[in-house]
Amino acid sequence: MNQPFIDLLTPFLPNLGDRPLTEDSRLHDLGMNSMKAIDLLFAIEDGLGVSLPDEDLNDTTFATAGSLWAAVQRAQDAAEGDRRAAA
Amino acid sequence: MSVFAAREAAAGTGSPLATLPADTSGADLWHALGAQNRLAGVYRGNDPRRGVDPAALSTLLTDVDRRFGVGSTLAVTVPLATCLPLLAHGTGPATHTLADSLDGHTVVALAATDEDSGCDLAALDTRVTFDGDRVRLDGTKRWITNATTCGAALVLARHRPGPHFTNFTWVLVPADAPGVRAEPAGTDLFDGSGTGHLAFDGVRLTREHVVGGTGRGLSAFAAHIATERLAGALWAVALCERVLRDTARHLGRRRQGGGVLWDREAIRQRWAGALLRSRQHRALTESLTEAVAARRDTAAAALLKASAAETVEHVLDVCAHLQGAHGFRTGGPQQLRAQAALFGIGGGTTEVVLDIMAETAPLAGAGELP
Ligand SMILES: Cc1cc2nc3c(=O)[nH]c(=O)nc-3n(C[C@H](O)[C@H](O)[C@H](O)COP(=O)(O)OP(=O)(O)OC[C@H]3O[C@@H](n4cnc5c(N)ncnc54)[C@H](O)[C@@H]3O)c2cc1C
Repeated sequence: MNQPFIDLLTPFLPNLGDRPLTEDSRLHDLGMNSMKAIDLLFAIEDGLGVSLPDEDLNDTTFATAGSLWAAVQRAQDAAEGDRRAAA
Repeated sequence: MSVFAAREAAAGTGSPLATLPADTSGADLWHALGAQNRLAGVYRGNDPRRGVDPAALSTLLTDVDRRFGVGSTLAVTVPLATCLPLLAHGTGPATHTLADSLDGHTVVALAATDEDSGCDLAALDTRVTFDGDRVRLDGTKRWITNATTCGAALVLARHRPGPHFTNFTWVLVPADAPGVRAEPAGTDLFDGSGTGHLAFDGVRLTREHVVGGTGRGLSAFAAHIATERLAGALWAVALCERVLRDTARHLGRRRQGGGVLWDREAIRQRWAGALLRSRQHRALTESLTEAVAARRDTAAAALLKASAAETVEHVLDVCAHLQGAHGFRTGGPQQLRAQAALFGIGGGTTEVVLDIMAETAPLAGAGELP
């Protein structure tokens, strides 16, 4: 997980405290609920400039920091591919 | 520039709505606004994809509130704030419906509230099932503005069991599709709003009728209901100021003890207290408008919604009381008070929006409050 992603995700996890965020961190246990998850989706799409594909919109994607990071990377790779194809 | 500046500049000029009778229904008002090219003007760059232009929305709502009943104003506010921006994220049938709506030909309803689950959207039962390139819709929505007058409804349905926010999807349903039934809600309070119940019984449509992507139902709802909450806050400013002005005028004419009621200090102070609340809500609306309109700030929208409901309740309570028996006339502030209780219910009850505010407050108390 890169630092911009960790910085973006951390404010949505009120129960994280001083612990480090790892790929196994379970978002629900760290205080993520439905309302926060929606705001997090907006933050990812506005802040990182990627749109998660419909097939990644499920509870597995939002289960851990690592699963969400993997979906963000897939969306970033797809956006990069689109940009190259358009160039 | 203030969100209310354009509204104030427009106040002295003639309105193209002036020729319509005061009891014009919401659907007829929608047709008239479309014919006058005033619907697209509510969006930034005339494009619903770019979201509302709050100053233009405020100007339109002030004009509508001044001339027509709560039901008709509601019938215009919901599609403007929520349905059209949602449709702008669709393709195929959504694109056509959006164009017809902007022209005023089609009224679109927003059907989120389910028969059994009410406030708790994540528990709704209305189901969309996918079968190749077809979808099937089953369920019942209750208390839906424009239900009996719409040409199409945007329906929030679940495509998977469970409360996760990604389990919901919007489906655009033509009102004349086989299996769709609309009935009036049975209330005298919201004349002209077409409020009613919608039943979907095995409605079959092409997959193109999915709007905004599978799994984006609740997130799109949160983004767009924020705009509806902003619209409600702007409408509340217009409504409170209108009623305060009418009440002051009435008190200034109502004779009492050799003078008029307005001469009484106690009466003036009570009125001024209500004005204070109205001004506080207006100032809050000014300060949070941009956050909601430009940044989809759901906490700011919740704050505005709670403020609008409390302010309207207080101002109408005071003004209706100060008008005595005159307040009970048809269309007077006592009737308005009952209608305006909607500000604390429709689009999320006060409890629900207060919950959102508490949810977004910093736990440690060190950060910014919403
Ligand atoms: C005139 C009118 C027009 C409407 N138009 C539309 C529309 O266009 N589209 C649409 O989708 N819906 C519409 N609605 C429905 C509206 O959004 C719902 O009425 C609202 O969300 C509340 O749901 P409910 O009435 O089922 O209340 P319920 O869920 O039955 O709740 C009843 C009461 O319980 C309390 N309560 C509920 N949940 C909580 C909680 N979590 N914490 C504390 N207290 C709680 C509140 O006091 C609430 O008022 C409209 C309603 C009206 C009256």
